[in-house]
Amino acid sequence: MILFESIIDGIRDIKDHFGRTMLQLLGVILGAGSIVATFSLSVTGKGQAMEYYRISGGIQKIYIDDKPTGKVTQNAKALASKGLTYHDVVALRRDAKEIDLVSPVSNQSMLIRYRTVEHERSIMGISPAYSPMNDFHAARGRFISDNDVASAARVVVLGSERAAEFFGSEDPLGKTITMNGSGYEVVGVMEEKYFSFDKKHNNMRWMNRQIYIPITTLVTRKGEALEQGKISFMHVRMRDIKRADQAVDETKHILQREHGVEDFEVFSRVANLKRNEQNNKMYDMTFMICGLISLIVGGIVVMNIQLASFNERVREVGTRKAIGATPAQIFVQFLTESILVSVFGGFLGLFVGQAFCAGMGLLLRATPQMSPDTAVKALIFAAGTGLVFGMYPAIRASRLNAIEALRTE
Amino acid sequence: MSAILKFEERKPAAARGLITLENVTKTYDSGENEVQALRGVDCSIAAGEFVSITGPSGSGKSTLMHILGCLDSPSTGQYWLDGEDVATLSARALARIRNQKLGFVFQTFNLLPRATILKNVELPLLYAGTSTDERRERALEALKRVGLDKRAKHRPNELSGGQRQRVAIARALVNNPSLVLADEPTGNLDQKTGSDIIQIFEELSEAGQTIVLVTHDPAIAERTYRRIKIVDGVIVDGDTID
Repeated sequence: MILFESIIDGIRDIKDHFGRTMLQLLGVILGAGSIVATFSLSVTGKGQAMEYYRISGGIQKIYIDDKPTGKVTQNAKALASKGLTYHDVVALRRDAKEIDLVSPVSNQSMLIRYRTVEHERSIMGISPAYSPMNDFHAARGRFISDNDVASAARVVVLGSERAAEFFGSEDPLGKTITMNGSGYEVVGVMEEKYFSFDKKHNNMRWMNRQIYIPITTLVTRKGEALEQGKISFMHVRMRDIKRADQAVDETKHILQREHGVEDFEVFSRVANLKRNEQNNKMYDMTFMICGLISLIVGGIVVMNIQLASFNERVREVGTRKAIGATPAQIFVQFLTESILVSVFGGFLGLFVGQAFCAGMGLLLRATPQMSPDTAVKALIFAAGTGLVFGMYPAIRASRLNAIEALRTE
Repeated sequence: MSAILKFEERKPAAARGLITLENVTKTYDSGENEVQALRGVDCSIAAGEFVSITGPSGSGKSTLMHILGCLDSPSTGQYWLDGEDVATLSARALARIRNQKLGFVFQTFNLLPRATILKNVELPLLYAGTSTDERRERALEALKRVGLDKRAKHRPNELSGGQRQRVAIARALVNNPSLVLADEPTGNLDQKTGSDIIQIFEELSEAGQTIVLVTHDPAIAERTYRRIKIVDGVIVDGDTID
């Protein structure tokens, strides 16, 4: 009852002294706003990163690349190492127990022609594992098969943009295109891959611009023996995310054994994610502290003005006490007003936070979205500010001597 | 056992009237020198009386008023209000007594400027925990008694001084108090308006309301049925019923 009346009273106070209330609330508004912005940015960033990972094959992916050792003196085995080769693929498939998929990629640029259309384009030699590894599938026809790899078949699968580039509206399936002078049958066209951080640019567009042939075909046509065939990079997939470290260690161990030297690098998405999380936590903390400091400053302002308005209202408090308000009732009334004013500020802060987000959206090309969770957090922090900093004025009001208060002019 | 005996001892004194003061003193400790505002006041007021308290400034009439109004407690002595010993109650208990048994009318009206007339009158009931509907009903009833029920939705600054004081009277009446205490209720009003206000008090008195009115204006004190004069912290005249 008292609470309800106090809330009504608080609303009336905000309305009657709008300018003063706004000044009073500036700190709380900015504090709540920056909390909203921080959380939104953080949550949205994390969400987008996870979505990117998900759409490009999941966080089980491990990326393996060549790395120059930089050492001058090397043993015979190290000198003999050519870096990543098809031999490593075979070794990993055979020996790695933490790995369920190995997808090697070998790149080469080729001159490609279909009728009058001719372009120099990058070709990827891959194995069938490429498709599940990257969650990327043929929309029409089929992807490169085990048979294609086994027989080093002259077949090709086109990314959607490449299909359009060489064939226009024509159906590419079953047609033959010429690559570095040899004919390849088009057996499939890939689905269109799309992901955007900013809802404008397709961050997956590069995948739609690929041309795939069996890795064996690419290697052997370069004149290399398959086992010695150079691999540009490869992806392997861990069986169990919980055993991410073991998977990375095992992969490293096998490659080390085969190469005799650490001329490769292994990047696990899980490890990457953990590292990012650490960084994110630091950013979150920094911004949170900034937000909290401005809330504290805002709280002090709230307290100050509450005390100033309290001096204006000494007579009112005296009157209320004379007609029977207990100290507790006065305390509740004043505290409710502080909390209400602060929550009101927090509410305005939500809009300011949204404006911050929109501003950051312009800079980052990705607009952070405020989640309901974030809004509730900001409001709780704002209410907390009102509670903490409203305490002292409320205690003072509740202890006021009614006689002296009534005597005040 | 002794507590019961004590209560039995007190009962006759309490039964003498609505208000019984016995040898009440009040000493203010203002730094080095003590100020004795009341030096042993004995006084009894029966239910239904219309009493004025007069005296020069500094005589202790305000202090007496505060003690009668349970805004302050006596330093020594006894005070029974409506059968209850209120001399030694806690701040919280005194707030309850003020809320349920007393109605205040001040010289400066002391209405809440931001609230409507109706809300102002409802305020004592709000602190008593009365339900919203009953609060409204009783506040309108009290406003009707002072002839302002038609202005319930107005704010105090839209009313004249006399009207504001009538709202204050309605607020004092809304909880059906045992005693209405008025502290210089005409002090801020012109003679004609002041006289009207006193007339309202007279009508309330006719209806059986106990009223204690503090004033320095002899003309106003004349209109009460019993005058208590206080000088230098003691009652010098009027502790008898006319």
